[in-house]
Amino acid sequence: MATPLLEMRGIVKEFPGVRALDGVDLVVRAGEVHCLLGQNGAGKSTLIKVLAGAHGVDDGTILWEGEPVTFADPQAALRTGVATIYQELDLVDGLSVADNVFLGHESSRGGFTRNADMNRSARELLKTLGHPEIRPTREVGSLSAAGKQIVSMARALSRDAKVIVMDEPSAVLDPDEVKGLFRVVDDLRAAGTAIIYISHRLEEIRRIGDRLTVLKDGRTVAGDLPAKDTPTSELITLMTGRTVSSVFPRRTTPLPAADPLLSVSGLGRAGEFADVSFDVRPGEIIGLAGLVGAGRSEIVETVFGARRAGHGTVTVDGHKLRNGAVDAAVAAGVGLCPEERKSQGLILDDAVYRNISLASLGRFSRYGVSTEGAERSAAREAARSVDVRPDAPDRVIRTLSGGNQQKVVLARWLLRGCKVLLLDEPTRGVDVGARAEIYALVRQLADSGVAIVVVSSDIEEVLGLSDRVLVIADGAVVHDGPSDAIDASGVLDRILATHEHQKEDVA
Amino acid sequence: MSTIHPRRRRAFAVAGAFAAATLVLGACTNNSGGDDDTSDAISKSNTDNDKSGEKVVIGFSAPAADHGWMGSITKSATTQAEQYDDIELKVAEGTNDVNLQISQVETFINDKVDAIVLLPFDGAAMTSVARKAMDAGIVVVNVDREFNSPFAARTTVLGDNYGMGVSAGTFVCDDAAGKTGLKVAEIAGIDSLPLTQDRSQGFSDALKACGLKVDNRVAAEFTVESGEKAASNLLQAAPKIDYLWNHDDDQGVGVLAAINNAGRDEFTMIGGAGSADVMEAIKADNSVLKATVVYPSTQAADGVKLARLLVQGKSLSDLAEIEVPRMLKLAAPIVTKENVDTYLPSAFRS
Amino acid sequence: MTSLQDPSLSVPAPPKGDRGGSIGLARNLGLVIALVILCIVGVATAGDRFASSDNVLTILRLAAVVGVISIGMTFVITGGGIDLSVGAILALASVWATTTGTQAMAGDVHWIIMVFSAILVGAACGTINGLLIAYGRIVPFIATLAMLASARGLAEIIADRKTQIIRDQGFLDFFGAEPIGIPVIVIIFALVVAAGWFLLNRTTFGRRTFAVGGNPEAARLAGIKVQRHTVYLYALLGTTCGIAAVMLMSRTTTGSSTHGTLIELDAIAAVVIGGTLLSGGRGTVVGTLFGVLIFTTLTNVFTLNNLSTSAQAVAKGVIIVIAVLLQQRIANRKT
Repeated sequence: MATPLLEMRGIVKEFPGVRALDGVDLVVRAGEVHCLLGQNGAGKSTLIKVLAGAHGVDDGTILWEGEPVTFADPQAALRTGVATIYQELDLVDGLSVADNVFLGHESSRGGFTRNADMNRSARELLKTLGHPEIRPTREVGSLSAAGKQIVSMARALSRDAKVIVMDEPSAVLDPDEVKGLFRVVDDLRAAGTAIIYISHRLEEIRRIGDRLTVLKDGRTVAGDLPAKDTPTSELITLMTGRTVSSVFPRRTTPLPAADPLLSVSGLGRAGEFADVSFDVRPGEIIGLAGLVGAGRSEIVETVFGARRAGHGTVTVDGHKLRNGAVDAAVAAGVGLCPEERKSQGLILDDAVYRNISLASLGRFSRYGVSTEGAERSAAREAARSVDVRPDAPDRVIRTLSGGNQQKVVLARWLLRGCKVLLLDEPTRGVDVGARAEIYALVRQLADSGVAIVVVSSDIEEVLGLSDRVLVIADGAVVHDGPSDAIDASGVLDRILATHEHQKEDVA
Repeated sequence: MSTIHPRRRRAFAVAGAFAAATLVLGACTNNSGGDDDTSDAISKSNTDNDKSGEKVVIGFSAPAADHGWMGSITKSATTQAEQYDDIELKVAEGTNDVNLQISQVETFINDKVDAIVLLPFDGAAMTSVARKAMDAGIVVVNVDREFNSPFAARTTVLGDNYGMGVSAGTFVCDDAAGKTGLKVAEIAGIDSLPLTQDRSQGFSDALKACGLKVDNRVAAEFTVESGEKAASNLLQAAPKIDYLWNHDDDQGVGVLAAINNAGRDEFTMIGGAGSADVMEAIKADNSVLKATVVYPSTQAADGVKLARLLVQGKSLSDLAEIEVPRMLKLAAPIVTKENVDTYLPSAFRS
Repeated sequence: MTSLQDPSLSVPAPPKGDRGGSIGLARNLGLVIALVILCIVGVATAGDRFASSDNVLTILRLAAVVGVISIGMTFVITGGGIDLSVGAILALASVWATTTGTQAMAGDVHWIIMVFSAILVGAACGTINGLLIAYGRIVPFIATLAMLASARGLAEIIADRKTQIIRDQGFLDFFGAEPIGIPVIVIIFALVVAAGWFLLNRTTFGRRTFAVGGNPEAARLAGIKVQRHTVYLYALLGTTCGIAAVMLMSRTTTGSSTHGTLIELDAIAAVVIGGTLLSGGRGTVVGTLFGVLIFTTLTNVFTLNNLSTSAQAVAKGVIIVIAVLLQQRIANRKT
């Protein structure tokens, strides 16, 4: 077999507190469409940034046509021949198509740009891409998402890129535009360009992919798989399955009979999910399983009031919550550990104890004056009870690992003493050891009478943790039953059935 | 950055410059450096008062020199001070922040200066601190913008804003020589200021005397930019003008630019305040500018001189009165081609 | 686990405020050094004229007006906002409190009416800023820019661009007094600093301010009413503008639409060199106090030495850059 065009071996990238890439291997050959699969947080975006030269690597080697290279900065990556088309396209809306195509390497003489030349070259590139109808002089801001993508590709071609990285290019396109995209990708492949194609949509990968690599938890769990005929169930297992099997703590006492603490009825939001109903009793754990984009996070955020419900009601302990009011939900005893821990959950530059007491400030004050001593000792106690390490309540939380950051968010709601806890991806970015601790904590909380809702892309996790599971597909509950009456493949069948069904609808 | 400017101009001036409260220290100098931005009119009095006396420490504070006239105020005060070896002038830098200007005066009080010459950014706002200085036994000389309490200053030196309007109006009447139906236009300064209202009132009163009136009036804001804008609008509105009075020569730079842009030359223009550029234009007599009205930028220099006399216990030698007067109102004479040489040396640069 | 839900925990309290103390000192060390250097320069160049109690009071009187506003500004910037309209609000409050109508009412009742009306106008303008920003979702820069223009314009309309003189002797006597040798406005400044420090560091309100500025989304998801808090922050700043207006009214014995021109820049500069992050989430009242004192002392030293305000402006700019560079160094070393 010929030398691969690009070969990455054992790539490691660390950020403070988290190892985003932990030994990634990727082999890409000229003239192939290489698909990259993985859940959110598996390390795909970090890998893309390493390829683009936006992040340096901490360990590992990159070989280009067999020779070791480093991508020190974006210019170096471009010079070598790797161009990246980001999901949020990095085009300048106010400039013309041609200006954008040649941004950073404008054709100029003595400091004056040669617009005529650039327009001509841009027109040729757009013709190559099968889109002669896009005028080079047009302002990019006036183009559709698909048009912008074509401009991005023209930019990549203008750099003579041999590898083009496309990050979820179809996410913003309608079906017709996706067809156009595939035609362009096919043409590029025929011309010998390698494409690294990232998508959540398995159908697309089947349609245009040649080979694929699956990432999970910052590692390559499978490489060099045929894209066309690797069974879907195998792919999903690779993406969602356990790398190291964790022991889920089982329920020790039978669930006591009680009225539901949290009652969700007919909840819906236009375009996101519809008619979601479920009850959670004290001590019960409900799991929401489904693929990314199925609407799981949207459901819990709406229950919490962080999004306004279009229909339906949320009742806690018999009292209806005010729609779209987080403070009302918190006051009623509901807590949320959000999906994006750093951007939604934590004040990164603040101390651990202050992050823990954030939701309970009212309790640690008299007439608005903080009783700091009580606050710190209570926060410290909460941190210890979930075993936050190091045991340093004054540490800036940014410096903690993902697992410990997650425990801080849990400790926040413990301290608040909430009755209903919503956990959105509680173990994302958390290393394997810390996961088991979080599972044990969740179970412990349930045993103390808290009603818990867990959302996770990890189907085994949902099944292992919860008493009852709701399978969500395309914004609808497609299955509701006890967790021990279904297994991972059963859940996948339910999800895939919905997808098959929809495909038939489209066809 | 020292208080004492190195430039030293030896000048001989006519005696009794203060007498009759004329504004200008009519100076016959032996030196007329045209590019010098310091007035050549600043000189000693050539009387016994010039004799070196006890040392006088004078604090001086004025608004920011963001305007040619205001810049000249500080420069002529420092030039005046260096004429006398018994004056030590402490200049606080110009500011339009009343809070800071108050603080400057407080510093002078702390320093126990003998006298303070103060051109306030806002007369009313500085009254209280000036009163405090007076109470501390410091002689306060108020310049140009009046305090609202007679107890806040020993002596006040003021320009004559109403008189400016009268001088400009009288020039128009004389020049028109009885003709009627002539179109008169006016470009005022900041309209809501009392000084602008006084100037306009004087102009209108003087015109009335010969049966003329202001046909078109616009207001600018004492800046070049605003002068250009106001004049462009005025020239659009008035297709034919016979006389145009512009209150302020600093904004006049913009007014003249607008006149040139419009290619208009059918009228006679009168300036205001008396900048050197305008006076040179009058002397050259090749533009629409035929006259200007002086608003002396040497008032602060007069303030410094008076402060010295007050501290040393001297009087104005040409007056029978043995004390320095409580108030001097300076005249606002009209400057034309005929008498421009008299006034040019005391003019300020925009 | 259940014991956690009991607020009366009997765990021994760790030493209080050690974090705030140590980081605070490290953060303020540069500022202390800067102020000490300025004072040394002052003594070296002006001797007793600088180091006299009269001169110190002159510095403090000058610092009081901008100082009070800077304390309010510390809260808004810590909360992730900015306010360009403080000078205009000050002008409007001073004009509103000195109209013939207000003064007549004050004459009939008590001069405290003037104080109340200045503070009310300030608080009202601040509240409008806050509502526009929190609920109108206008970025703070634009919303307060609009307030800057309209408040000063309104002040000019009300005052007809004239300076309004305060006739009420009771008002002037009270604020012009110097009990125990310290001017009343300096005492007010000290009280505002103390109240500001307490509010930011020792109250729930302060903690929410840090949270809202540090990560508004996390604060919202922790149940904090972020929008309402934002309104409070701008209203608080408006209130300090009203207090500053009263101080400037007493100092100048006037209300004027030109009062407080460009004071916003001095206030923001003092807050930023004090160590408050312009991006929000971190703020210090003590640092702001130092920032104000550094700038005012700088002005004083320049005045004592008859140096030009232009050179002073250059020095100010250099100090801002150095202070921020130092801050970034310290911040980077910490993490």
